[in-house]
Amino acid sequence: MSIDVEVLEDSRHHRYVLNMGPQHPSTHGVLRVLLELEGEYAMELLPVLGYGHRCHEKIAEFKPAKSFMPNTARMDYLGALIYNQGFAQLLEKAAGIEVPERVEYIRVITSELNRIQSHLLWYGAYLLDLGAFTPIMYAFDDREHILDILEDVTGSRLTYCYARVGGVSKDIDDKFVTRTRAFIDRLRSRFPMYEDLVNGNIILQKRLIDVGELTPQICARYGITGPLLRGTGVAYDIRRAEPYSIYSKFDFEIPTETKGDCMASFLVRFRELEQSLRIIEQALDGLPEGPIMAAKVPKKLKLPAGDYNSSVEAPRGELSYYLVSDGSDVPYRLKVRTPSYSNLSVVPEMCRGMLLSDVVSAMGALDLVIPEIDR
Amino acid sequence: MDINKVKGQWQKLSTAIEDVDYSASGYDYSVSLERDKVRDFAALMLAEGFYLVGLMAVHVTPAIEVVYQFAHVETRCRVMARAFVDEQVEMPTISDIYQGANWHERETRDFHGVVFVGHPYLEPLILPEEDVDLKPLLKEEAKLKDVAAVRRQPPEPAPEPKAKPEPKPEAKPEAVKSQEQS
Amino acid sequence: MEIFYSILPDLIRMVVCAVCGAVIVFGNALVMGYAERKLAGHIMLRPGPMEVGFHGVYQLIVDGLKLMGKQLVIPKNADKPLFMLAPLLAFAPVFVPLLVIPFSSKLQGFDLDIGLLVILALASINLLAVLIGGWSSNNKYSLFGAFRAVSQNVAYEIPMLLSLLSIIFMTNTFSLKGIVAAQSPVWFIVLQPLAFLIYLVSLVAETNRAPFDLPEAESELTAGFHTEYSGMSFSLFVLGEYANMFIVSSVATVFFLGGSSGIPLPYFEYSGVIWFLLKVYSLMFFLVWIRWTYPRTRFDQLMNFCWKYLIPFSLVNLLITVVMVKLL
Repeated sequence: MSIDVEVLEDSRHHRYVLNMGPQHPSTHGVLRVLLELEGEYAMELLPVLGYGHRCHEKIAEFKPAKSFMPNTARMDYLGALIYNQGFAQLLEKAAGIEVPERVEYIRVITSELNRIQSHLLWYGAYLLDLGAFTPIMYAFDDREHILDILEDVTGSRLTYCYARVGGVSKDIDDKFVTRTRAFIDRLRSRFPMYEDLVNGNIILQKRLIDVGELTPQICARYGITGPLLRGTGVAYDIRRAEPYSIYSKFDFEIPTETKGDCMASFLVRFRELEQSLRIIEQALDGLPEGPIMAAKVPKKLKLPAGDYNSSVEAPRGELSYYLVSDGSDVPYRLKVRTPSYSNLSVVPEMCRGMLLSDVVSAMGALDLVIPEIDR
Repeated sequence: MDINKVKGQWQKLSTAIEDVDYSASGYDYSVSLERDKVRDFAALMLAEGFYLVGLMAVHVTPAIEVVYQFAHVETRCRVMARAFVDEQVEMPTISDIYQGANWHERETRDFHGVVFVGHPYLEPLILPEEDVDLKPLLKEEAKLKDVAAVRRQPPEPAPEPKAKPEPKPEAKPEAVKSQEQS
Repeated sequence: MEIFYSILPDLIRMVVCAVCGAVIVFGNALVMGYAERKLAGHIMLRPGPMEVGFHGVYQLIVDGLKLMGKQLVIPKNADKPLFMLAPLLAFAPVFVPLLVIPFSSKLQGFDLDIGLLVILALASINLLAVLIGGWSSNNKYSLFGAFRAVSQNVAYEIPMLLSLLSIIFMTNTFSLKGIVAAQSPVWFIVLQPLAFLIYLVSLVAETNRAPFDLPEAESELTAGFHTEYSGMSFSLFVLGEYANMFIVSSVATVFFLGGSSGIPLPYFEYSGVIWFLLKVYSLMFFLVWIRWTYPRTRFDQLMNFCWKYLIPFSLVNLLITVVMVKLL
């Protein structure tokens, strides 16, 4: 990899500029960070964005709102079902469409499976950044089971376009239910192995504890939500605070930690896996029969004039869609507020003065997906 | 957080506060602000424990409207604060109060050309540096709408039979008084 | 002419040893490379190389041919003579230590009185190769890797030497054959367990293997000091690394595990070789195992561990050894 930096002529500080370029093994996606290093300490960090900008918000102003559904999956490819759910909710709220109960259950089950899959990928990739080559294989092994289950019902492995306005595209059958229940048992049996081999490893603990500390005040000023905020002690989860879909029917905990460092968000995400399994179990137990599409969904979905907001809990934090409509079926303005955007903006403040290895640890703990930052 | 006390403080800073139906639109309050009260409002929200969800711009006539979205972590309270830019398409920055607004304001500058006065580093964030004047999300003349056209319409009175429901863009609903910048 | 005849046995011996050394180095690379990839695969729940040959046994040969056929890319502003020198420096010094290692009681290249000093001196040249390679690549990431390698190797040579010194004090000789001979009733691992553990940790750090592989940390430095090397120069670095692993494991075997001692097999005069290789390769299996299991330490934690824990412990161990030797 050749360099494309200018050497700083500041002999007072002996600093030099290192470019963690758009192609780098541990910036997950096309993110460029300009680091001003003094020895091995990162004194200034400047993230440079835009390498993956695909003009989604502009596209939304030219297509009927219903056709924007595949685009939502391309923004965060790991949490695509949750993005689909949030957007479908937005349009259903705007047009005043009521969805059948079975649809809500299906959406919750598939979204929670998606959340587990996203956390497993984060887990493996984060440990790969830290130098452990093996846990990613085990995490991906578990993840393959989820992808197989979801492929049968949605047709895709990664960028799902499953939710429709008023329902979902295909119904789930008994095979789905049996495979999901088998997967729940399997993942539960793997947790002791993960906790023993990985979470309890002294090298991992020394690399994560006390690195990159956040406080609730910093999170409020930057708009940080999700497992990072829950790692600082604030039990804020959109599924509990502003219950959407049928989350108010389920009994699940919100794991929190107090320290706010990398280890805290690591443990919060790990414990969220168990909570998602609980939600799926309860949803499978209470799955009603019924239609999978609302009764009357017009082909040309006119959205009444006004502005609408739909917030859901994505694996990385709070995802909010804000729609401004002028009465036609094409949105006047669609703003997608993605969680990684706010999470990444804290890096210049959080990582100042850290060693280079710690910068890698801290950025991995933020769980970034760059396409949702660039949109 | 006592919402009534906070609303009382909003009364002093805003021109209009609207209670919005949460189940219909997804947020609780819409606060219309004068441009020079934006910073005080932001400082108040930070002191009360709200976090900045984001800020965005909507291109309408007579002026671009900047919408700030705040939410509270303890009680459910989602607030949209609106302000219009002035003739030079400028707006005071809140990036020294809410540091998360730093990137949101840079993005708004990229896409709509809104200049945030006092911002420490208003360089393009998502667009390349050479496309500073591109402003892709500004609407063309044919598609540009009036601000009233994108506001929620009041519920229709009982329609007569065979009457086609027509949108009434010139009717200003009483609940929302959006000030036009002179 | 008489001079020639008088040194002829030694000349023949040198030639034979050089050939055997080459065989060992390349053979070791073949075996270790294949073993590492297969073991890594099975630890990661996947089969490893399976395509070429039965379960992939020819994989390394094919890889070697591929690397030989690649273009040697030299970056534009790289320091060309130094850039080409670094892999040679990494590879050349591995032959000499192989001459002094006692593979069995009858199989040794040269039984030098200062055998250990030869090994340690030449093992340090590897560090020079890393530094030259990192500097001449004209790449900040490579330079980073070189800096880290220098600090790490220089630091970890000290506990390595100190733990070996404890053994030297007990046996009173630097010659490797003498040390093997001194372990007749009981191996030194029983008498000096602490020295063995310290030496094992230093071994991992000296060969830049995980969890101490910061100089070539892939996820932080995109391959560190050998980023810019391709083809044969890269393979020389790798060959040097595997041979280095073999040499330091052999030293560990000789000093702590009794060298080539073991149950003598009937009808085979050089049965010590079998035992020796068994011990060396079990140590290398251990190295491969921990590479694929543990994450990487942070650099300052690595240096702290060496200077604040390993060196004091090895000094204490040395002191106790000296006192015991004097008393007993």
